[in-house]
Amino acid sequence: MTTQTLAITANPKFKTRLNWGIGIGLLLLPLIWIDLVTYLTLTVAGISFGMLIFLIASGLTLIFGLMDVLNLAHAAFFAFGAYAGFTVLNFFNSLGWIETASLPASLFYLLMALLISGLVGALLGVATEKLVIKKVYGDHLMQLLATVGVSFVIVEFLKIIWGVNNEVVPIPFGFQESIIIYGVFIEYFRIITIVVGVGIFATLQYLLKKTKIGIIVRAGVENPEIVRTTGYNISRIFTLIFAAGAGLAAIGGTMMAVFNQAVDPGMGDQFLIFALIVVIIGGMGSVTGSFVGAIIVGLSFNYVAFLVPKMALGVNFMIMAVILLIRPKGLFGKD
Amino acid sequence: MGISMANQLTLEEHNRPNTNKGVTSFGYLQIGIIAVLAVMPFIFPSFKLMDVMAKIMIFTIVVASFDLLLGYTGILSFAHGMFFGIGAYSLALILYHTPNPAWYHIFLAAIISLTISIGLALVISFFSLRVKAIFFAMLTLALAEFAHILGVQWTSLTGGEDGISFVLPSIFNFNESLGTLFNTPINGRLMVYYLILLSTILLFASLLQFIRSPLGRVLKAIRENEPRTIALGFHTFTYQMASIIFSSAVASLGGILFAMWLCYVNPDSVFHTSIMVNILLMVLIGGMGTLYGSMIGAGFLIIVENWLPGLLKSIAALAPENIIVQNMADRWQLYFGILFVLVVIFFPKGVIGTIRSKLSVHPVSTN
Repeated sequence: MTTQTLAITANPKFKTRLNWGIGIGLLLLPLIWIDLVTYLTLTVAGISFGMLIFLIASGLTLIFGLMDVLNLAHAAFFAFGAYAGFTVLNFFNSLGWIETASLPASLFYLLMALLISGLVGALLGVATEKLVIKKVYGDHLMQLLATVGVSFVIVEFLKIIWGVNNEVVPIPFGFQESIIIYGVFIEYFRIITIVVGVGIFATLQYLLKKTKIGIIVRAGVENPEIVRTTGYNISRIFTLIFAAGAGLAAIGGTMMAVFNQAVDPGMGDQFLIFALIVVIIGGMGSVTGSFVGAIIVGLSFNYVAFLVPKMALGVNFMIMAVILLIRPKGLFGKD
Repeated sequence: MGISMANQLTLEEHNRPNTNKGVTSFGYLQIGIIAVLAVMPFIFPSFKLMDVMAKIMIFTIVVASFDLLLGYTGILSFAHGMFFGIGAYSLALILYHTPNPAWYHIFLAAIISLTISIGLALVISFFSLRVKAIFFAMLTLALAEFAHILGVQWTSLTGGEDGISFVLPSIFNFNESLGTLFNTPINGRLMVYYLILLSTILLFASLLQFIRSPLGRVLKAIRENEPRTIALGFHTFTYQMASIIFSSAVASLGGILFAMWLCYVNPDSVFHTSIMVNILLMVLIGGMGTLYGSMIGAGFLIIVENWLPGLLKSIAALAPENIIVQNMADRWQLYFGILFVLVVIFFPKGVIGTIRSKLSVHPVSTN
């Protein structure tokens, strides 16, 4: 009897089905307390919030997974990106384009803001990698300490240039509308967030798994010596990865600035906690893991915030603790 | 790992001849420092100086307890500032919510904060068994952020961002004057100063005793080579847990002293990440795994913190029109951040660590 049960539970197919069953069951659990229309509204909001967190967490997990560097300055890159995007939108606003923009024009302005802040963030990443991270490769403790210092410096710079108070971000007019499907209230910007998040997830997966660059990057992490002998510049590859991670954080920052309609210098710290939870839940270094983790965190945060507002963050912590107890490496973590 | 340089330190510690016969010159230095701190309020009756000295003593304790974790056990926990905050808030809440607090309420606060921090430290160490070092750092960072958010949002208990100010009971009451001695008023503040001095001596001595005990030696062994220590038959988890619990308990006592000195707490002053960054910087400047380095680190940072803003303001006064210059003078934390990065990259051994490795150019090779 016991051997039979063991055989069933050890069967991988059964395990996958069980996991899916538990996942869908948990997803529908809030329906006990929330009516369907509110539930659907919250679900859309939760997924779009999750996508915003994914943008931060993906850069963090990318840098860790590929370079074995835990970058605690990531939250500062995020805040920097938010201010960069804010500055671009402010510039458009000073030209009088923002307040009357149609939806396509609004999308174009957002895209410009995302591109510029991503580029500036990537440049900051390059500078950080060349000046600081390069000196502490292979030493986790020193990396943690050095990046804490870098984060401190960047946030102070933000305060020097833009002041310590929060600023209101001008939102393109096209985003201020929403659609209602069967009573479910969906703002345009939430849909855009989901599209951007899924798009970046797909791009990352494609780049890493299917292209030559991805193969070189993964091989370079696996065995730098061999890749070097085949003529590729490993240190340039590492700089590239770090810049990509920083750029992702900056894009996430701009999205969050538009989403919240405000920026403040301490905003990185507020969202770093979500990103850390997501990366821990999903497993360090797994992009898929952070995607799933971000959706879990986004949804649970929104449901609980609706039911018991003060418990929202606490529930995320409990989810993290439970997942760590069952799978210490996270959902998609490898050894 | 960055532990490789700490490797040498421990070797030196082991190789150093045992000089416990009589009082060494180092012992005289210790007694001298204590004596200066004890008579200082009477010789230089300045509040500013007393304030700086009290803060240095408190942070020496907090930083030394963090060094026990980081330098001696090789665990990087970002939750150390949280334990400091727990101590501070226990005292503040108890004194604020009791109608007529008496002296024993301070003891009560100490017991409560010790219970909470030991319980939390147990939970944290339970997780540290299951996860890798880098994971542990993230976990504790998330926890510390959570504590800060809790402090800000749980307004019914903590008073939110406004914080809590309270009055100390009996002889520690700042308004209570017991007369004057050598032109120095004997008041509650002076009493708190001496309480801090006494606690610092006791706690620092107990930390020293902890690392010199057989338990402390096992901790160093774990830091150097954990698989080997396990192979030798030590249950490493128990030892690491002891280290986390002890250092967290000391940090929360440091928090109580800090709250007593300021008579005011708010989330930003005790729970914020910048406290943790300061503690890290102090450990690094003094030298990881040295314990005495905490005095140098705390002393340096707190003196600079008190003197740098004024200096920057006077520099900025030369260009009163330029707003960026004004802002750069206001944000003196920026220079701390730059210093932090420079110390990590170029000066990772810290002051005491560098001195020790300079002294050991002629290592004792007899044993």
